[in-house]
Amino acid sequence: MKSPFWSNLFRNWNSQESEKVTALRQVPVFNNLSDKELDEIEKLTHERKYQAGEHVFKNKAPSEGMFIIISGSVEIYLDSDGSKKVLAELKEQDFFGEIALLDTEPRSAGAVATAPSTLLGFFRPDLLSLMERNPALSSKILTNLGAVLAERLRKTNQLLAAKSDN
Amino acid sequence: MNQQKDYIQLIYRLLVGLLGIGFLYVIWPYISSVLLMLVFAFLFTTVLLPSVDALERKIRNRGLSVLAVTIGLITAISIFIGSFATNLADQAGDFSQRLETESFMDDFNTFIDNTKAKLPSFVLGESDAQDPAEKLNDIMGGLMSKLLTFAGALGGFVFNMIMVIIFTIILLLNYHQFKKTLVSFIPNKFFEVGLRLIFNIEQQVSNYLRGQFLAATSVAIMSIVGLYILNFFGANLTLVVFIGIIAGLANMIPLVGPFIGMLIAFAVALMNNLGIEAAQAHMLFNTIPSPFYILDVVLLFIIVQQIDNNFITPLLVGESVGLHPMMVMIALLIGGTLIGPMGMLFAVPAAGIIKVVGQEISFVTKNAHLL
Repeated sequence: MKSPFWSNLFRNWNSQESEKVTALRQVPVFNNLSDKELDEIEKLTHERKYQAGEHVFKNKAPSEGMFIIISGSVEIYLDSDGSKKVLAELKEQDFFGEIALLDTEPRSAGAVATAPSTLLGFFRPDLLSLMERNPALSSKILTNLGAVLAERLRKTNQLLAAKSDN
Repeated sequence: MNQQKDYIQLIYRLLVGLLGIGFLYVIWPYISSVLLMLVFAFLFTTVLLPSVDALERKIRNRGLSVLAVTIGLITAISIFIGSFATNLADQAGDFSQRLETESFMDDFNTFIDNTKAKLPSFVLGESDAQDPAEKLNDIMGGLMSKLLTFAGALGGFVFNMIMVIIFTIILLLNYHQFKKTLVSFIPNKFFEVGLRLIFNIEQQVSNYLRGQFLAATSVAIMSIVGLYILNFFGANLTLVVFIGIIAGLANMIPLVGPFIGMLIAFAVALMNNLGIEAAQAHMLFNTIPSPFYILDVVLLFIIVQQIDNNFITPLLVGESVGLHPMMVMIALLIGGTLIGPMGMLFAVPAAGIIKVVGQEISFVTKNAHLL
């Protein structure tokens, strides 16, 4: 029989990676982070549950951070002149709202859960305190965030170029 | 119909609110001391949290990090108090030996006579028939009975301190979990606003503590330099560094605090200079009689206080909580009136927190359609 003393002492040796860490690993913002660093990020995240049809945030609402979808689905939409335009349908391991990690401007679109969803939130206040406590780790996150935004800009430029060609 | 429902809801909320306030009023005497301990524990946690987090990143064990930081702090405080108490006890022992000698009584009587002779008659008023040395003995007797009362109070203080340390350790161990639990209670609708509120409150408290720490350090340095300058002019003061540090720490309690450092400096000046003719006859700026350099010490602490109150505190503490100096004064007065020196200690950060909460409530009210 296994001794509780030894199993308790070495409990971290065979520990399974949590579902949250697995989700974080898939997000480009947390690329190239070590297991130790991902564990630290996991401690800073907040798990939230949303019903189908419940708003994660509305357009122009105050923005504090990004969300990663652990399970369920979320629709990103824009309200213009009373009509709703769906911009994206996001599924498990997708992420959204990452611009809010960088600035305090209101949300540029709304997000609503289209099925019962579990989201993981990573917020600017926690990133700011991480910058004070662990500048090396926060630099990695900010570099990754820059890369994500650069990629978006490149795609937007390509779309604009394609549109102007047509 | 809807309007009627709104009114009923409003009345219901008002009744619940009033019941809550009434309940709090009834149980306040029983919970106030525990709440005060929790507030202190929270403040200590805010101060120690960065060190614990940094150590945890290195050794990968929260429990050991908390233990190392707590033991380190308690050891440092014990060494400080221990060496201060030992030095002070040595001086007090030496002083009491001198107090017992006959020549000192004569010295003391001569000093009183000399001082009386120097003072104008209107200051003296009606003459007291009692022998000054006898009067001193009476004072010493009274002091002993007061010491016993003090010992009782000290017992209570030690118990409270132990409780604060235990609360601090628990908070340090589970701070991030506690915070997450608190955040998990925020409804989805107010989630991001709630997070911002918690972050802003944390920032207010840590900025305030940082400001206070810097102000206390400057007061300690100024007091130490000032006391050394007095020594240069023959004040014969010892324990200068200790007095400076205590003056700096006590300075965190507004209005009452600054006198604590001064009183210790007084006692040391008196103990060291008794029987020394030159010190008894000392004149401040060669004009005002300042036996035992007492007026010099008062002047020094007044100068330090003026520099602190007019330059350092408004710059470091007022700015850190983003409050107008007038609001700081009002907060101090209200805190002092409600719960005395303790109220003054917490008045400024409490006012800062109320300001942040007010701002968020106002934001939520104005932007309810966005949430």
